[in-house]
Amino acid sequence: MVAVILLATIPSLLLILGGWVLPAVVLTFFSPGTELPSPPSVWFEAEFFHHILHWKPIPNQSESTCYEVALLRYGIGPWNSISNCSQALSYDLTAVTLDLYRSNGYRARVRAVDGSRHSNWTVTNTRFSLDEVTLTVGSVKLEIHNGFILGKIQPPRPKMAPANDTYESIFSHFREYEIAIRKVPGNFTFTHKKVKHENFSLLTSGEVGEFCVQVKPSVTSRTNKGMWSKEECVSLTRQYFTVTNVIIFFAFVLLLSGALAYCLALQLYVRRRKKLPRVLLFKKPNAFIFISQRPSPETQDTIHPLDEEAFLKVSPELRNSDLHGSTDSGFGSTKPSLQTEEPQFLLPDPHPQADRTLGNGEPPELGDSCSNGSSNSTDSGICLQEPSLSPSTGPTWEQQVGSDSRGQDDSGIGLVQNSEGQAGDTQGGSALGHDSPPEPEVPAEQDPTAVVFRGYLRQTRCAEEKATKTGCLEEELPLAGGLGPKFRGCLDDEAGLHPPALAKGYLKQDPLEMTLASSGTPTEQWNQPTEEWSLLALSSCSDLGTSDWSFAHDLAPLGCVAAPGGLLGSFNSDLVTLPLISSLHSSDSS
Amino acid sequence: MKLQCVSLWLLGTILMLCSVDNHGLRRCLISTDMDHIEDSFQEIKRAIQAKDTFPNVTILSTLETLQIIKPLDVCCVTKNLLAFYVDRVFKDHQEPNPKILRKISSIANSFLYMQKTLRQCQEQRQCHCRQEATNVTRVIHDNYDQLEVRSAAVKSLGELDIFLAWIAKNHEVTSSA
Repeated sequence: MVAVILLATIPSLLLILGGWVLPAVVLTFFSPGTELPSPPSVWFEAEFFHHILHWKPIPNQSESTCYEVALLRYGIGPWNSISNCSQALSYDLTAVTLDLYRSNGYRARVRAVDGSRHSNWTVTNTRFSLDEVTLTVGSVKLEIHNGFILGKIQPPRPKMAPANDTYESIFSHFREYEIAIRKVPGNFTFTHKKVKHENFSLLTSGEVGEFCVQVKPSVTSRTNKGMWSKEECVSLTRQYFTVTNVIIFFAFVLLLSGALAYCLALQLYVRRRKKLPRVLLFKKPNAFIFISQRPSPETQDTIHPLDEEAFLKVSPELRNSDLHGSTDSGFGSTKPSLQTEEPQFLLPDPHPQADRTLGNGEPPELGDSCSNGSSNSTDSGICLQEPSLSPSTGPTWEQQVGSDSRGQDDSGIGLVQNSEGQAGDTQGGSALGHDSPPEPEVPAEQDPTAVVFRGYLRQTRCAEEKATKTGCLEEELPLAGGLGPKFRGCLDDEAGLHPPALAKGYLKQDPLEMTLASSGTPTEQWNQPTEEWSLLALSSCSDLGTSDWSFAHDLAPLGCVAAPGGLLGSFNSDLVTLPLISSLHSSDSS
Repeated sequence: MKLQCVSLWLLGTILMLCSVDNHGLRRCLISTDMDHIEDSFQEIKRAIQAKDTFPNVTILSTLETLQIIKPLDVCCVTKNLLAFYVDRVFKDHQEPNPKILRKISSIANSFLYMQKTLRQCQEQRQCHCRQEATNVTRVIHDNYDQLEVRSAAVKSLGELDIFLAWIAKNHEVTSSA
């Protein structure tokens, strides 16, 4: 019985075993060979939109071995074969994994293929997702600006990325960058810095040399790893020609040149050849112009009787003249500054002869007007006063010097012998010195030749004037009657010369008595103090011709100029010697 | 009379505000540090996911399940998923490796803390579950049930990164970098 059972079970056992063995035997007989091994491992190495699948080769790889790659979207669908036979050990799966950043991930598998043999699939260990992307930096740009290194980090911009998927849009927050800086000589001394933006600046603190910078990105809310970028180097040199330095330099140069130009212009202006105003020009060296300020050629040698009407017309202007004391042709000015800027004694041009013949007498109104001392007239300084007027007022040659006419040239008495020459300063000028009038065009030389007196020298009443006059501007130029112009100022009373006679009219001057020398000296002395004086040269007192003499500026050559106080002393002594016309023709004056 | 009017008016305002809150204008958000959980997961991700042998099946991301959840349902879905992981996944998974087990335990503790935070919202009636949220929860549970328990647990653990990313997106997540 037992044998029967054993006999029955043995075939079944054999069958069962055969079932096991036979296939194996069959397989071993019919299998092409040893089983092809599968790749040991498969993994992704991915950067931003650069997903590369890597695998290790199978051992004993033959030349005909290639690899099959398949991809699966996690949770969805079957495996998709990507590559049937790939000889390489990596494959770029970016194109098929474009939505990696918005999906749950992928799985990939690889198997070895050799002919008709396939190995088993080797699947990636992890689900390939956004967490496995290594963060990189596209580029780093370095600039040097004012001692700072300015860096700009450019995120990666792969070509295969869709338009909407930018680095900033996927990793929208918590982007961070670690910067490693090293100075070129030291290869291992890094300084690290973390920045949270794509733009950063490094302070070099004046160091010079080459600096190299590396950047590693990261996202703090994620566990993604970062990769160091390529090294970017920049060299810092000592900047001498920075923009600011150049601008400062040019500004300095401009400032300096501007200052120099200004100084030069100022110097040129100051030293320019000053032109004597026309009124001061002594065109003729003739007798002194008694009234008119402008030399008129025809008056040089002609004696023009004074026209009373002319004086009448002139009188308003004479008010301004501050000439006190009747000095002929303007010497009566009490102020050494004889000159105003304009001829103070203006005789109307239509009556030139009236200008010349002072001895004809003054218009009655002149006297009063003269003593007013108003200075707004254009009087050259000679105030022809009515001899009939009260002596208190007297014929005063008012100089226009006045307080407001400081700058005027008082012609004083413009006894110009040649009317040229007294060293150029015989321009009646205010004692206080006037700077406004231009350099008097003084006659270059003063002819020592006696000037023929053509006109009348008005005697000054300076002596009286001085006492009575209160408004003496301290520059009185009394002319001693007959002595010609005397210069006396109120400042210099003691030195003043007493007028020889109260002039009521005009004193005919003796041209011969005038000496140039005496007149010359004072003028020379005058020259020195101020060049602007228009003092009338005394020397020309004798030349009381009808030549132009004016108490205005161009009376310079006349020696009969009222000298400023300071000079009066020197004048006076000399003036005394001047042979002035001593005889006033009272008849002329009145 | 006037006082009653004022009090009634105040009460009405409060009720209105509460109803507004209940309608989800104010979300119940978790302010938690997710970095710790994510770091823990990254360390065990490779080991866990390698054990997942069914890549064509997913539990959490069926038809982009989590992506279509509206803000009103965030609180409810978060609460449900946390309960899912704590009550089912962590219990069903048997981890032999102690290191991995330690990490899983830390993740589980963090989930417990988040559950406690959400419970407060629920008490304030700010975590109302609508039908959509309930549907999503049911789908996930169904997916889990279709697989064998251990495979399902492993797969669910492997999909923790999806869940954590969704939480970070929908809640106020601070980054302790």
